[in-house]
Amino acid sequence: MIPSDPKQVKQICFDRINIPDVHTLAVARKHGAYEFLPTVLAEFTAAKIIDEVKVSGLRGRGGAGFPTGLKWSFVPRNTGKPTYLLCNADEGEPGTFKDRDIMRFDPHLLIEGMIMAGFALGVRDAYIYIRGEFVHEANVLNAAIKEAYAANLLGENILGSGYSMELTVHRGAGAYVCGEETALIESLEGKPGRPRFKPPFPAVEGFYRCPTVVNNVETLATVPAILKHGGAWHAAIGVPNNTGCKIFSVSGHVNKPGNYEVPMGTSLKTLIEDYCGGLQHGSVPKVVIPGGSSTPWLTAEHYNTPLTYDGMIKAGSMLGSGAVIVLDETADVVSFTRRLAHFYAHESCGQCTPCREGTGWLERIMDRIEAGQGCEGDLRVLKDASTHMAGRTICALADGAAAPILSMLKHFPEEVRAYLAENAA
Amino acid sequence: MTSLLINDQEVEVTPGTSILEACRQHGVDVPYFCYHPELSVAANCRMCLVEVEGWGKPAASCCTPVSEGMKVKTQTESLKKDRKMVMEYLLIHHPLDCPVCDQGGGCKLQDYALTHGASKGRYAEHKRAVVNYELGPFVNTCMTRCIHCTRCVRFADEVAGTGDIGVLNRSDHMTIAGIVEEALESELSGNLPDICPVGALLDKPSLDVSRPWEMTHHKGTCTQCPNGCDINIESRGDEVMRIRPVENSPEPWLCDRGRYVYDAFRSDARILEPRVRRDGALAATGWDEAFEQAVALLKGKRVGIVFSPDWSVEAHASIRLMRDALFPDAKVAYDLHRRDLRPFAFEEGFSMTTAQIEAADQVVVLGSDLRQRLPLLMQRLRKRGRAGKPVARIGAMNYRTNMTISSDAIIRPRDWPAVIARAMEQVRVLGKTAAGFDAWLAAVPERHEAGKILADALMADSCALLVGEEIRSHDDAAALIYGIDLLMRACGHAEKDSDGRNLIPEGMNTQSLAASFGDVRISAGELFAQAGAGALDALVVIGSDPMGDGLFPSAAAAVLGKVPLVQIGSISGRTGEFADVQLPASAYPENEGTFVNMEGRIRVATNPIRSLGQERPLWKVMMRLIQVMGGEVPVVSMDELRAVVAGRMPELAGIWASGETDSVMVRPARNRDAACVPRKQDQAFALDVVSRYSMYREGMWARASGLLSEAADLHALDDVLVHPDTLASAGLAAGELTVRSFLGEKVFHVGVREDVSPGVLFIARRGVAGELSDVSAASLSGGK
Amino acid sequence: MSAQLNATPHRFSEARLAEIAELVKRYPSAQSALMPVLYMAQEDFGYLSMDVQQHVADVLNLRLMQVREVVTFYTMFREQPCGSYLLEVCTSSGCMLNGAYELVTHMADTLGIKIGETTPDGLFTLTEVECAGACGGAPVVQVNNVYHEKATPESMDALITQVRASGGGK
Ligand SMILES: Cc1cc2nc3c(=O)[nH]c(=O)nc-3n(C[C@H](O)[C@H](O)[C@H](O)COP(=O)(O)O)c2cc1C
Ligand code: SF4
Ligand code: FES
Repeated sequence: MIPSDPKQVKQICFDRINIPDVHTLAVARKHGAYEFLPTVLAEFTAAKIIDEVKVSGLRGRGGAGFPTGLKWSFVPRNTGKPTYLLCNADEGEPGTFKDRDIMRFDPHLLIEGMIMAGFALGVRDAYIYIRGEFVHEANVLNAAIKEAYAANLLGENILGSGYSMELTVHRGAGAYVCGEETALIESLEGKPGRPRFKPPFPAVEGFYRCPTVVNNVETLATVPAILKHGGAWHAAIGVPNNTGCKIFSVSGHVNKPGNYEVPMGTSLKTLIEDYCGGLQHGSVPKVVIPGGSSTPWLTAEHYNTPLTYDGMIKAGSMLGSGAVIVLDETADVVSFTRRLAHFYAHESCGQCTPCREGTGWLERIMDRIEAGQGCEGDLRVLKDASTHMAGRTICALADGAAAPILSMLKHFPEEVRAYLAENAA
Repeated sequence: MTSLLINDQEVEVTPGTSILEACRQHGVDVPYFCYHPELSVAANCRMCLVEVEGWGKPAASCCTPVSEGMKVKTQTESLKKDRKMVMEYLLIHHPLDCPVCDQGGGCKLQDYALTHGASKGRYAEHKRAVVNYELGPFVNTCMTRCIHCTRCVRFADEVAGTGDIGVLNRSDHMTIAGIVEEALESELSGNLPDICPVGALLDKPSLDVSRPWEMTHHKGTCTQCPNGCDINIESRGDEVMRIRPVENSPEPWLCDRGRYVYDAFRSDARILEPRVRRDGALAATGWDEAFEQAVALLKGKRVGIVFSPDWSVEAHASIRLMRDALFPDAKVAYDLHRRDLRPFAFEEGFSMTTAQIEAADQVVVLGSDLRQRLPLLMQRLRKRGRAGKPVARIGAMNYRTNMTISSDAIIRPRDWPAVIARAMEQVRVLGKTAAGFDAWLAAVPERHEAGKILADALMADSCALLVGEEIRSHDDAAALIYGIDLLMRACGHAEKDSDGRNLIPEGMNTQSLAASFGDVRISAGELFAQAGAGALDALVVIGSDPMGDGLFPSAAAAVLGKVPLVQIGSISGRTGEFADVQLPASAYPENEGTFVNMEGRIRVATNPIRSLGQERPLWKVMMRLIQVMGGEVPVVSMDELRAVVAGRMPELAGIWASGETDSVMVRPARNRDAACVPRKQDQAFALDVVSRYSMYREGMWARASGLLSEAADLHALDDVLVHPDTLASAGLAAGELTVRSFLGEKVFHVGVREDVSPGVLFIARRGVAGELSDVSAASLSGGK
Repeated sequence: MSAQLNATPHRFSEARLAEIAELVKRYPSAQSALMPVLYMAQEDFGYLSMDVQQHVADVLNLRLMQVREVVTFYTMFREQPCGSYLLEVCTSSGCMLNGAYELVTHMADTLGIKIGETTPDGLFTLTEVECAGACGGAPVVQVNNVYHEKATPESMDALITQVRASGGGK
């Protein structure tokens, strides 16, 4: 059921975002925070919560879009080991900056979502793994958590329900790859953030080899609304299989960059023109990267693509984390690609051969091309080296590193050649 | 079983097996770098990619478990291209210096470059250079060649237990490194060059001297410890260049002692020709003259024989034949480490295999520095520890193990009866008892809490006891071992299939000696005492070095040089200083022969390296001695000799006939009527003396090895150590102190160390205080 | 094995050690506390010298190598001292498209140093960083981890001038 006018639907994660001081418990409570929590703790069973989340059709907002209810149902029960809940607040994908706003403006929404998720999963210890640079956000979260403890919303016997949960904020220290869930787990164990191969999946063997659920901030922040209004309510927003609202972080050559929470299914064009005030130069974008720098590029021909997981796949890209990077006609795709190549070379954890050596190699070739020392043969090497990284490594960072190079070669071969020719002359 | 299709061929493997292992087990060749069957899976090289039908992308076969009905392809065009690219990625920063790299010819990178790589690399950017680091005396690093497979990191962490090698940085700046200024502290370090698939870690002692294709390979058995590992002796011409583990043998690793002892084979300490003493010095001569001298010294005399257990089973038989033919009244000593020669309730050797010990519910190490004694068994215990299984320990020192010991107690050797008694009482409360308990308990007035560790472990379904040197060399060893035997019987561990009684022997082949020499053996200390008292006219020492090894250096020193001595063996050692005649016998890698390790595992050496000088197999020397002394030569061929051995050890006969060695195990002897209760302890001296065994210093071969001596210096501890409380309670401070024992008084430098038991004087057996090895108790007083 | 190399070794205060003891309780294993404790060490001692790393290893009962691996993996842990003001300019996608390279070049000129260097007075260190996760406010400069969004050459010059005028007190 698609609402005829998407704007009718209230925002989910950003519902309270503009209320002054809503990061404090008192203000947040005045506006509905923790209102429904006692009901959940008293009347809902774990199975019911997971069921509601399944019905809601919520898919992970961290990038992979995996159905959240299904992920939760994979957690084995009665293993004799503790189950952990980890909130992925690493937000490192270039272009993504949505989780930051939830955490700094409405931290209690995330905390409430985590309590509910923790309750459903039988979690005693939960952690928020936040990227190291977000010092302010970590401080806001810590202050909110402190207030929550004082109000018996965290800690022993929450609101007399018999359920207890500890919540700890853990700062990363500058490593994009730690956003990958198994790298995050390694990092939280006090080790370098090198992803683990799967299987075993974290749901079965994660943090300290115990069952572990890793969810994105936005995913967890959606849970309170789903439980309060019901899974069916959420499922009615957006389009089938792509339900609810999604925050899009729009950056690049738009007039009003920023975060916009819109119902799934809104078109790319609507987002950019109606919400972001259009492009800085020209009328159609040269490139739109719809899901963060790791996703394949779209061009003007896909301007009307709906913002859904399925729609983006059909268009040849991915919705990813919803980080929309827009390049207008003034953009230099070679320099831009070179910069992204540098990013991935810098951020590769180093363990897989293709990613460790491939990312560095791609960067050096792009450096050379940008400096006017490229040659036709480089294009073939770029293509080979990136094709054989993607899908052949432990984690998807290598796929992300390949995407910009392959996109550049696919959509702008002439522009790259011009670079070779122009500078060779 | 799970069945799957590999390249359209149906195969079956145990559930949970990786695709790569399934391929290996069925002879399907999948290339890989980072995988190693003995290490955890890292899946980082990405060379082992295969295709699984229905999967969108290729799978790393090393980390993907098989599933029922899976269809795997290992040879598609797309995989060929993937492998080619992985090779290209790996080679972009590789120095390609194969012509000057020792790994050349035995290098995975080189081999795969040929079979899977492209003929030409396309990398045109700058290359990475990486700094080297220190990995101790045996490992050379050339880190620019590293391909980041992390095998060495996993080895250091999981096998050696040191974790001193790590992965620094990330991206293509990632490097494998050790801690600057600290060499790797591992007795297994020599394995690193073996597991490194490229030339980043190379064997230092053999660096730049030889190449794989120049080597001749000889399969042998290491006799440097009772574990008796299979070894692959690599020689160029007759010169041994390296010793390496044998693929698919029970242990995939070798310890540094067994590996690097080879430089002793060519050392000056070798006895390579017959020698006689002339004008005070040993001089080379012919066999005839040497034998003439020997006859003059031995004929019609009362002779004492000391020999080493490390000789082959056949050599031992020939010693026995020689004794019986020439000196039928002679007593024989072969164990320099046992003070108490009464029969033990269970004799030296293991009733379990290493694999069974690794798998047992409980393991208790009783009085042993296992890491020095049996580094590979220690490695198995570490593996077990990593799997979450307990390893408990009771002993005189917190010996370094590089693993977490689950329960630990530090005691004095004189506490052992009280420990065992405490354990007996605890198990009896739980209804487990044996016939001799009462008498045993009645003889021991004290109880020691450490007994709880032992008793707790004994309650498990399977419990392996590793009884070590602190008990075996105890003055009252027979009583202690009987006590332990009673405990095992009481707790139901004495049935055939669940026997956990393992007495760690001192040397290779000790297992078989109780059977062949039990009736004529004597303690080495006793033998020297008799010689000193004039009850013996001459000594024959065969491959043993009582002044350098064991518990009787002072006793030996008192008689050697005073009693005529015929030395037969491969290495001169300290004994050589006193020999009147030396007869060369070929060394362990130079002989055909049969070896039985501590587990009772049998190995037959058939392809020895050539002897360097005039030395002969020991059994031939023995037969010749019989002949020149006018005796009747009992055997003239190896076959005849083996027939004699088979008389005592019938299980061996079949082995020689079939060549199938794994079907039979030689079990340690059991003396069911060896009942003795603890004696009242002599408390004349306040402190118990425990001497430290060092794998780098113990044994004639190790001392003759320059490589091991170098490592020994790195691993040296103070010569005499005590716990700080020991000094404090006597009002003493560390420094020059007087040690009083039955040998008299002498001043030594005494250091302190927290992990020695209070009340124990801990000595480095091969250091300046080595002479104290003879004593089991002493006291300390102020210096001067 | 403990470090005796440094003549005046850095040691955590009693209060810090108590804080660490509390922190460790929040995790299943002390090793998890390594990153937070490294942050504390960096705050207390300025940067993570080998001596400090050894101290952290001792406090958490880890091997030095376990600490080394973590320190060298993460970019926010520093093995070298840096200026009192760490200016980190994001030049990643969103910021690059909105003038970050021009900005960082301008700042280097104003400071009279190259990117990656520290001013001779020890006040400023200028570095380029990867996406700061605030692309909506591009270009972004973090000054000692405080975000300055929509930074301009003028706003950064003003900041530098102000710091210099105040003599650099933080
Ligand atoms: C290289 C890489 C970086 C990632 N970074 C993030 C991140 O910063 N935040 C995030 O939530 N998920 C990130 N992910 C996705 C996570 O692995 C994981 O899918 C997600 O946290 C699951 O949560 P969700 O189901 O709620 O989306 C990343 C994945 C990869 C491969
Ligand atoms: S793909 Fe790259 S980042 Fe991901 S695990 Fe492999 S090396 Fe690390
Ligand atoms: S052997 Fe499988 S990835 Fe290296």
